[in-house]
This record gives sequence, structure tokens and C-alpha cells, in this order.
Amino acid sequence: MDASSLTGAPVELIGVSRWYGNVVAVNEITFSLAPGVTGLLGPNGAGKSTLLSMIAGLLPPSAGIVSVEGRPAWRDPSIYRRIGLVPERESLPGYLTGRGFVEYAARLHRIRDPRAAAARAIEAVALEDAADRSIGGYSKGMRQRIKVASALVHDPAILVLDEPFNGMDPRQRLHMMDLLRAMAADGRTILFSSHILEEVERLGERILVVVAGRLAASGDYREIRRLMTDRPHAFTVRSSADRRLAAALLDADAVFGVELTEAGLAARSEDFGGFGRSIARIARSAGVTLFEVVPTDESLESVFSYLVRR
Amino acid sequence: MSGGQGGVASRAADARPATGGPGPRPFGAIVRATTRALLGRRRTILVLLFLLVPILLSLLARAMPGTEAREEIAIGLLDNLVVRVVLPLVSLLIGTAVLGAEVDDGTIVFLLVNPVPRWEIVAAKLLVAEVVTLALLVPVTALSGAILVAGLPGVDAGIATGFTVGVAVGAAVYVAIFVAMSVVTSRALVLGLGYVLIWEGFLASLFAGTRNLSVREYTLSIAQAVSGVDITAGQGIAPAVAVVMSVVVFVGAVVVAIRRLGSFSVTGGG
Repeated sequence: MDASSLTGAPVELIGVSRWYGNVVAVNEITFSLAPGVTGLLGPNGAGKSTLLSMIAGLLPPSAGIVSVEGRPAWRDPSIYRRIGLVPERESLPGYLTGRGFVEYAARLHRIRDPRAAAARAIEAVALEDAADRSIGGYSKGMRQRIKVASALVHDPAILVLDEPFNGMDPRQRLHMMDLLRAMAADGRTILFSSHILEEVERLGERILVVVAGRLAASGDYREIRRLMTDRPHAFTVRSSADRRLAAALLDADAVFGVELTEAGLAARSEDFGGFGRSIARIARSAGVTLFEVVPTDESLESVFSYLVRR
Repeated sequence: MSGGQGGVASRAADARPATGGPGPRPFGAIVRATTRALLGRRRTILVLLFLLVPILLSLLARAMPGTEAREEIAIGLLDNLVVRVVLPLVSLLIGTAVLGAEVDDGTIVFLLVNPVPRWEIVAAKLLVAEVVTLALLVPVTALSGAILVAGLPGVDAGIATGFTVGVAVGAAVYVAIFVAMSVVTSRALVLGLGYVLIWEGFLASLFAGTRNLSVREYTLSIAQAVSGVDITAGQGIAPAVAVVMSVVVFVGAVVVAIRRLGSFSVTGGG
């Protein structure tokens, strides 16, 4: 694996690892991005920000190659003509107005008419009303949007956004999704990270799932969704007669495993929806009263760890 | 939904910047933003208050009765207070603020994700720090010196000029060191303070060999050469060495700052 393997894709990672001392943050990741929207999904601390920092040329990989349009991203400020970054950090120069901040970015990009470019970028994120207020008084959602405006001001072919929907209200979120979709339809390459499955599902045409520094899955979101739902699901059930219910559940083929625990009955099923529908019927015919049925491993982390084990 | 999308799409397409050649170099924009950020900081107000100290003490010394040892008092005050304390501390507070403040709060990332050569960022930041520091220290030194020596019989008025020139050179070198320090470490203020107190204030002047590596010694040597008065009591370094070393340290610090900023890494923090 060397630079000659690069295809010149908008963003390309070959065997990329990044470690901090003994801690491996990103482990042997290889992928390339094509124009369109790609969602980078993973729990907090999975290495998403480290990956995005490397793609944005702000961090050297410990091993492997990170390239932007065929050129190594690290130590090459000229990549910023092609790439725009929306960092996760909320700190912004509070002494500037929103407009001043975006205009400053336009000037750093040597845009001929920085005022007009800033006005257009601010309009694109629908922040005209607050543009002349000091950033120091901005809400979280407004800060996100002004960062996006500043990353858009030079019309980049590649846009990298770290948790862009954090702090946005549902309306702002929809607007931002529309904006990113429209930019992708324009032929741009958009990569955004999120730890929320629904955000990625609604926007990402393609999904990269990162868990514990590794690429756990990648591809079309429907495929990932199927992987995430067609897996063993665990439930904790409390009832008036756990032992009798366990026998009835096994008898009815509703589960492939049950265990009596102190918390109640631990049941495992392959069909999430089917189990929910059938357990009430089975309990009733067995003469058992259900007190509680709780899915025990529906946290995103458990979904991720399932994908990793797979 | 599709109508809304179309609206956004056309706006996104509108966001293309005007083509037809690049605008002016970003140097001026960085200088303006840095000046604004620096002058708006509380730290700068602290510096202004701090600068009143040598002026007030000079007035006090001048008002004291008795006419003997006026020259020793002037040299003592300018050396021990201005050169040893005010000069390095003002340079430290301003030198570590122009880039260090952005490194500390993470906003440096917005400066780095632009196609601006790193030397240009360092040059703009350094220019602001140098101009502001010199604009503060040169008048204060000149005024303190003038208060202490002007119009006194038997006192060489060149002392004020000598110290002013020496402090100007010293400030230029100190600021470059502290700007570089703020790119190299996130604890520039603390380490800079340690360097000023321990190295410049104590260790460097202990031995003849280490004096060549002390900005304070460059300052005093140049002040002595310009004024023609024996400021260092025969212990100072040669003026030529002082000038050459000042240039070497200045250039070295600038090179370090540019190189370190060129490979400055930032993580997203998530």
C-alpha cells in the first residue's frame, strides 16, 4: 500500500491508523468517498473526530495514507481550496459578528468579493437575521450554522462536518439536511459524522460505521439497517410466573433462548417486532400476567458491538 | 419538500464565489483580526496598568531629595525594573497572546483550514505582537529614562536613549521567542514565566558563557553601546555579539514558529 494505489477519489484512506501513545484511536481503516452524502456513524469515542481531523489535514496519520483528490492531506494548506471543514468544537472568536467571522474566512481564502460571498453563505444557512450580532451571544444551533457558513464560503468541492446537527432544533436540522442534500446533488462530496443512527439514516446515502477505531461496516444505509435489525435481540420480561412463561415461549418457537435471572426472564429472539407481538398472546394462553417487557440491549453501543463481533 | 429543496439548491449554487483571480493576500486580514482580538483582551488592560509602574517609580526617584548617585539610581531602576521585569513580562503577555490565545481556545482551527501559507500567518501575528509591544515599551522606557536623567548636572542624558534602544531590540527578540513558544507548547505563559524568572533573571548572568544566551544581556550591551555609559560594570557582552545573537535568536524563533505551525495538529475533540 503506497501512494501509487491512490485513485484520485475526492477522499481516500488506505490502511490508516492513528495512535496516541499506547491508545489506538483509528485502526487500519480503508475507504474512499465519491460525490454524494456519506454518514460516518459511531458511538462517542469511536475515532470519528480523529478520522475527520486526518481527512481535513489537521492531524497526521500514524500509518497509512490519507489523501484529498489524490494528494496527501497532511501539511498541504492548498487542499483547503477544495475542502471545507465544520469542526465539532463550539469555541468561536466571540469578538466577531457572525458576518465578520464568515467574511474573515472569505478573506483568508482570497475571495475577491468577501462581503458578497459571506452574504451568500449566511443566506444558505438561513442566518441572515442574526448575522450582525456578536457570536458571543449565539445559541448552540446558531454557532453550528455560522461554522457551516464559514466552511461554505469558498464553495468547496468537499465538505467535512463533525457532528453538524448537535444543538440544532428539529427545524434547523431539517434545513441543514436539505442544504447538504442540495450540495450533494450539485456534485459535491459531503462527509458528516454523527452518533445518532436516525440522522445518518435520513441523510446518508452511504454509511460508514466506526466502532472502537475500526470500520465495522460500510455501504448502503438499507444494508446496514438490515444488519442492525436482523440480529439477536435480548429482552427482560417480568411476569406473574416466569418459569411457566419461559416454557411457553420456547414451546411456541418465539425465542431461541431463555434464562431465569433475578431481574426476571432473559429472553433472546431474532425477530424484534415479532417477539413484541407474540409474547402477549403466548402469555395470555399460558395464563401468565405480564408486568414488564423491556428490550435490554437496544442502546446504539450494543448495535455497534454486534456489528463488530459479526 | 421538493420545492424547499429546490430553493436551498439554488442558494447553494449561488454560494459560489466570484471568479476572475484571487483577492488580496490574507496578511492584512490576519493583522486586523489579531489586533482586534489583542486589544479587546483583559490581558492587554493589565499590561497598560503594569506599564504605569516604571513611570511612577521614576517620578518618585526624581522627587527624592539629594543629588548624589543620580546616575546609579537611573541605571539601577532602568535595569532592575524595566529590563529585568517590565520588558520580558510585557513581551510575554503580548507574544503569547497573538497566536497562543487561539491555540488555547481551539479557534486556531478556523485559521488553519485555509489555503494560507503558514509563514504568512506567523508573519502577520508576529508583526502585530512586535508593533504593539514596541509601541508600549519604547515610550515607557524613554519617558522613565527622561524623568530620571533629563536636565540633571553630571548625569549622562544618553542613558535614556541607550536604554530605549536596548529595550526596543530586547522586546523584538523576546516577542519572537514567546510567539514561537506559544506554537510549540500549550503552556507558553507558564513556561515563559519560568524562562524569564529563572534563566533571564538568575542563571544566565551567573557565568560569562551563558551571558551570550540571554536577551537581558543583549539589551544591556546595546544600551551601554548607545549611551556610552558603563551600565554593566564591565561584566557585559560585546555589542557586536549582542547584535549578532539578537538576530540569530530572532530568526531562529521565527523559523521554529513557522515550522511548528506547518505541522500543527488539531483533533476534533470528540
